[in-house]
Amino acid sequence: MTSPFRPTSSARFRAPRATVLVAAGAVLLTGACSVGGSTADAPGDEVRIALPEEPPTLEPCDASLTATGRVTRSNITEPLTEREPTTGELGPKLATEWEQTAPTSWTFTLREGVSFHDGSAFTAEDAAFSIDRTVSSDIGCNVDGYVFGDSELTTNVVNDTTLEVATAESDPILPLRLSFVEIVPAETDAEAKVREPSGTGPYRIETWDQGVSLRLARFDDYWGTAPPFAAARYVWRGEGSIRAAMVTSGEADVAVGLAPADGAGDRAVEYPNNETSYLRIDATKAPLDDIRVRRAINYALDKEGLVASVFSGLGEPAAQVVPEGVTGHNPDIEPWPYDMAKAKELIQQARADGVAVDTAITIIGRNGIYPKAAEAMEVAQNSLLEAGLKVDIQMLDVNAWMEYLLRPFPSDAGPTLLQAQHGNQAGDAAFTMGQIYGSEGAQSSYGTPDLDRLIEQAELASGPDRQEKFTEALAYQNDEVVRDAVLAHMTGIIALSPQVTYEPNSATNDEMRLAEMRPAN
Amino acid sequence: MLTFLRRRIVSSAIPLLVVILGVFFLARLTGNPANLYLPLSATPEMRAEFAARNGFDQPIIVQFGDYLAQLSRLDFGESLRTAQPAAEAVLQAFPATLQLAGVTMLLAVVGAVVVGSLAAYRPNSAADRGASFLSATAASVPDFWFAIMGVLLFSVTLGWLPTSGTVGAAAWVLPVATLLIRPFGVLVQVVRGAMVSALSAPYIKVARSKGAGDQRVIFGHALRNAAAPALTVAGDLAVGLLNGAVVVETIFGWPGIGKLMIDSILQRDFAVLQAAVLLTALTIFALNILIDVCYALLDARVRQGVAA
Amino acid sequence: MTNSPTTPPGKVSMLSLLARDRVASTAAVVLVLIGACAVVGPMLLGDLAVEQNLRAVNLPPFSIGAGWEFVLGSDSLGRSVAARLVVAAGTTMSVAVPAVLLSLTVGSIWGMWAGFHRGRRESVSMRIADVILSFPSLLLAVVVLYVFTPSVANIIAVLAVARIPIYLRTARAESAELQSRLFVDAARTFGTGSWATIRRHVFPTVLPTLLTVAAVDFCFVMLTESSLSFLGIGIQPPDMSWGLMVAQGRQELQTAWWIAVFPGLAIIGTTVSAAMLAAWARMAGDPGQRWRLTLPRRGRGKITARKGVA
Repeated sequence: MTSPFRPTSSARFRAPRATVLVAAGAVLLTGACSVGGSTADAPGDEVRIALPEEPPTLEPCDASLTATGRVTRSNITEPLTEREPTTGELGPKLATEWEQTAPTSWTFTLREGVSFHDGSAFTAEDAAFSIDRTVSSDIGCNVDGYVFGDSELTTNVVNDTTLEVATAESDPILPLRLSFVEIVPAETDAEAKVREPSGTGPYRIETWDQGVSLRLARFDDYWGTAPPFAAARYVWRGEGSIRAAMVTSGEADVAVGLAPADGAGDRAVEYPNNETSYLRIDATKAPLDDIRVRRAINYALDKEGLVASVFSGLGEPAAQVVPEGVTGHNPDIEPWPYDMAKAKELIQQARADGVAVDTAITIIGRNGIYPKAAEAMEVAQNSLLEAGLKVDIQMLDVNAWMEYLLRPFPSDAGPTLLQAQHGNQAGDAAFTMGQIYGSEGAQSSYGTPDLDRLIEQAELASGPDRQEKFTEALAYQNDEVVRDAVLAHMTGIIALSPQVTYEPNSATNDEMRLAEMRPAN
Repeated sequence: MLTFLRRRIVSSAIPLLVVILGVFFLARLTGNPANLYLPLSATPEMRAEFAARNGFDQPIIVQFGDYLAQLSRLDFGESLRTAQPAAEAVLQAFPATLQLAGVTMLLAVVGAVVVGSLAAYRPNSAADRGASFLSATAASVPDFWFAIMGVLLFSVTLGWLPTSGTVGAAAWVLPVATLLIRPFGVLVQVVRGAMVSALSAPYIKVARSKGAGDQRVIFGHALRNAAAPALTVAGDLAVGLLNGAVVVETIFGWPGIGKLMIDSILQRDFAVLQAAVLLTALTIFALNILIDVCYALLDARVRQGVAA
Repeated sequence: MTNSPTTPPGKVSMLSLLARDRVASTAAVVLVLIGACAVVGPMLLGDLAVEQNLRAVNLPPFSIGAGWEFVLGSDSLGRSVAARLVVAAGTTMSVAVPAVLLSLTVGSIWGMWAGFHRGRRESVSMRIADVILSFPSLLLAVVVLYVFTPSVANIIAVLAVARIPIYLRTARAESAELQSRLFVDAARTFGTGSWATIRRHVFPTVLPTLLTVAAVDFCFVMLTESSLSFLGIGIQPPDMSWGLMVAQGRQELQTAWWIAVFPGLAIIGTTVSAAMLAAWARMAGDPGQRWRLTLPRRGRGKITARKGVA
């Protein structure tokens, strides 16, 4: 069951497929008894982790997918550079240092004495291969779309420990972008994705019993400090209350992705998870094309009440989608105050000026985007009705909701408010502003030329100037564009058994470092 | 009997084609999967590339032709989500569901025949009323309640059973119990009803006049006659378990085909969905053929019994 | 079929028969009450059911001093669970009753026709049923979501189509069995038309089993409706149904059990009442069984037993 299927050409596994069919038929007929592998209870030096879903693949170039990255990143494979979630600093990993040698060129000095799980040694060749495979190949890497977009990179191997990377245009945050490129050996398939990669990380894949469990074991030749646990076993349970129960009953040591009502009790650990919830206002359609109506929506929403009731007191009323700790965060923007009287007044003014405030607005919600998503939208609807707008709710599943989230938007939709949530994994506002607020951004329903210009200038700046310019763009958005009603910075919950100590941080959702988990005693 | 079987199998071929055709086209009416598999910031070029890589840029008829050609080579395509062959994913998941459903149906049928017959033995008595009430309740309890409450009580509070997973016999108790209640409840109702009718039918009087004992009357002639509706309903319930063990599979982390199928619908993972539906359809067709054979056997015996 | 000499047929006697039976009459009263809630509830309590009070969330049932509206507690937005239960009865019934009736009617007529004629008509019908059963109903639901606009009629259609094969197969099985019996043969020989024969001879025999199945199908339809809401084609907030309440309360089963438990009990109560009434109707409608219902309540079991042996 552990055979890694490396899809290269369809000719290669036509025969095995038929074999699989026959073998499975035999299994069905004889009624093989045990489902999946059966193993004895976990030994003490294994950490047992309950995930909400099985990783679809462990392919490192798809590690920007939460379910994959949570297992692969920093555990199985490592990048050249690594962002410390607690400080926001970019630190060395497989590269020890780097510098910008020209506006479009960077030189990385690589770590020596590093070997891959398959035994081969790590060299600049591998690094160049991994970058090319992720950014320039045809295999459709998720990381490519997430981090690099249109931009192309050229790699040049100077010697075993020196790598040059060139960009088409000046890119001040290239080292940060490269922190998403996980390094695999040059022997890895360049034409297709691999489900079970080799890497340089502190853990290697031991067994993946599909559908049942995944076990990682400590990599003995790891270049850094050996991690405390000898092994990690992942299982997946779709139901939050079951994951919590597994920790309270001693079947698991770590349960991730819990909601306040899942009953983890005093085993629960809360942490800011880097996500910000907001309502995206479709400002191209009446009555939402009137800025007074958009401001009224912001005044009408009681963010503190929402956090206190629906989010069980977890989370914090938010002013902007870029949270603290991310380059570009503007500490001077305050959350819009709850002021129903002002909201009503603004709506009245708009009505008096002939704005079609009686047009029904639809809240497009997504079930499960965060705990109690539907309830949160019912609270918003209630407030907006009180302010004098007409509002319906439509709760959708992910794919139907995405039709509204991403361009091109459904043409027959009326004015909408979209329930959305944004998490900036990378730590730089460049990963937020263009796509969310740019006139042409993939997730942007509305932008202005002025805002576009501010964003563009900020993206090309570096150092303190970069921070300054993003701050300016955010303030302008908040005051003059008002494209969003930002709700709250969200809080995540994990449960920990008494046997394990681990401190979750803002990156835990996307990258859960096993090396940071240690036995309690 | 063999001619019957052969005719029955041949007559299932066209419906099976309809299923293949239907799933293929219906699935493609559920929206473009590109959004789900590309990062939110994907450029139009990436979308075009994704479509080309997966053949979605072809006219749908061409796509269907390609699919049929693949099928004829026993190639079921590749999962968008996991890049695994779809057949592998489906065949890995199916035995888990089949075993769970098999154990559950066995227990449900045996339990329901016993309880239903006992209830019908004295219609309208306290025992009958109690059985009817309890079985109707069992049939309507929301399954996730039962599952989560069971976990909280037996795993968290008492610590007798594991919360979830598939390792060891104890892990089967809660999933089977959760899956069992509804079919059991429905079947008790059906068996009881059919038995009440059967017990008042003329041929039972014939059997009685021949001096057959109470037990033999009930479990012999009446049950045989009551078996027809029970068999149909049991078959439909078994089909429901194959397609609908989603809640149990999700809650207990059971690696079965119900959850795989739902996930592949929600994730627009067409190849896996098609392979999964094809396999369950084959099973459903086979099950129905089996039921028809049972009917034929039953029918012969009932007639024999009446004639005797 | 023979007429029972003890009870003359007629509506009045059915009602008095019902009144004699404590369990069945309770079930009938419950169903009438739910029907009444469904009709007048939204008018009386419609506003209260959506009134949020974020300072009184998750009040447990019977909270003293919180007011009568919180007798069954409040939900996570501080709305009265009692008022929501009553109002939700309307939406729930307007989906469940048509869905069950539609699948019952179409499925059973089709099934009786198929079973009565046997041959090609029967096998084609059965293969159609196989095809429908082979499709995951969720797939149909998602297709409806993408191709049509979401509406109550669409939910009913999806639920009904998914359930038709159940009645079709059950009706077919019984009617095919009857078709070979003497009395149906006789009717046919005397030149009775096939629909008339079905109506007069097949329908009364097949109906009891179908009613039994339909009664327990209520809960299935009510719970399935809630999973459709999650896809975006079911009942959408602020409208409410029992299924949706159960689904929303699911997240809080451990912290505020009453949010999911009361609507769940409503679903169970409705289903059990329908099942008990169906069991009674089955007996009352069967001339060979009706005498059991006319017996004095005490000692009924014994007499039955003796009769059974005799």
